[in-house]
Amino acid sequence: MNLHANESSPTGTYAEGMPWNPVERVILERRSIRSFRPEPLPDGMIRRILEAGRFAPSAGNMQPWRFVVIKSPEIIAAMERDAVRIARLFMFFLDYARGGRVRRAITMPLAKLFIRLLPNELHAPPFMLLSQIAQGRAPVFHNAPVIVLILEDRRGVSCPAVDIGVCGQNMVLAAHSMGAGSCWIGLIKLLRYYPKWRRRLGARYPYHMNESIAFGWPRPTADGLVPREVQIVEWREGGPDDPPRYERQGG
Amino acid sequence: MIAQLTLLDRLRVPTYDDGSQMRYGALVIDRSRCRECGICVRICPGACLVTDTATKMSLLNGTTHKGKSGVPRLDLMKSGEAGCIACFDCGTACPHGAISLAGHFNPGYRFKRIAQEDVLAYPQRY
Repeated sequence: MNLHANESSPTGTYAEGMPWNPVERVILERRSIRSFRPEPLPDGMIRRILEAGRFAPSAGNMQPWRFVVIKSPEIIAAMERDAVRIARLFMFFLDYARGGRVRRAITMPLAKLFIRLLPNELHAPPFMLLSQIAQGRAPVFHNAPVIVLILEDRRGVSCPAVDIGVCGQNMVLAAHSMGAGSCWIGLIKLLRYYPKWRRRLGARYPYHMNESIAFGWPRPTADGLVPREVQIVEWREGGPDDPPRYERQGG
Repeated sequence: MIAQLTLLDRLRVPTYDDGSQMRYGALVIDRSRCRECGICVRICPGACLVTDTATKMSLLNGTTHKGKSGVPRLDLMKSGEAGCIACFDCGTACPHGAISLAGHFNPGYRFKRIAQEDVLAYPQRY
């Protein structure tokens, strides 16, 4: 059920228990959208979304990002084909969840070794998504009409990957506030294995291709509130040697 | 209060299709409320939902016949696990409120969540 907050509080105020303000509503109701209408967003709207990214905070004001807007259906289809191809190659060697016992006996130790080497890239959710993609059951780029690539300038201050995340989230929230849908696609990393895509998309030193975001008109509209795990938050209010107080955030 | 990661946990990589090492999201689909529109199947991030006649790809490519696409169910791996990450995009998008979430997603061993409880809660206005 599309659960939405009904009333709105004005921005710039706080009172205990007040309804969500419009900014909070966009933040809380944003869902990753993976099904789009085929027509692209108007160029003006894409530019407006990019403005939200251009004004994101970054360490040392280095702005370690470079945007590539991909609107061409042929390029997106070619990216999809090649990403699926590399997913198939990976999963041929690593996917132990399908096939027989012999296959499992060979692939499972190999997969666990690779998971140790690439724990973030081969964590359970991406691993299983790669398996679905390799079996032709899920798309990589969700047939999105617009893909915005955020290339990370590795010479940024401190941790440029964080700046990329902040910049991208600004764009995502701006898009949802205007009624568009978006989805972060980290699997753009699959294209790093192709020199031709690194060359075409400008992902060469100092740029690193880690993240992309798909934008488009959602079909169906799927924004709304969801439940999430209660978070244990440590509050430190007393002296430096006092024990912390733990609070259940959210429930 | 905050769970600990033991040395054994840190060393062990969970087997992803083993339910004793991975806790997957538990979706409950209310058959009486479902109108078989296929929205949830279309938007599931991991293509974990299917019906008897439709899959995510068949709906996205338009190869499924128009009209009712059947009551969704979790598509199980060979081991019987579902692969659901409890994002609840399906439940949010369902126009009829036919989907609810009975359990959250928590991988085991080196990937286990440390600062979260098993309880799921909607955003709370403080």
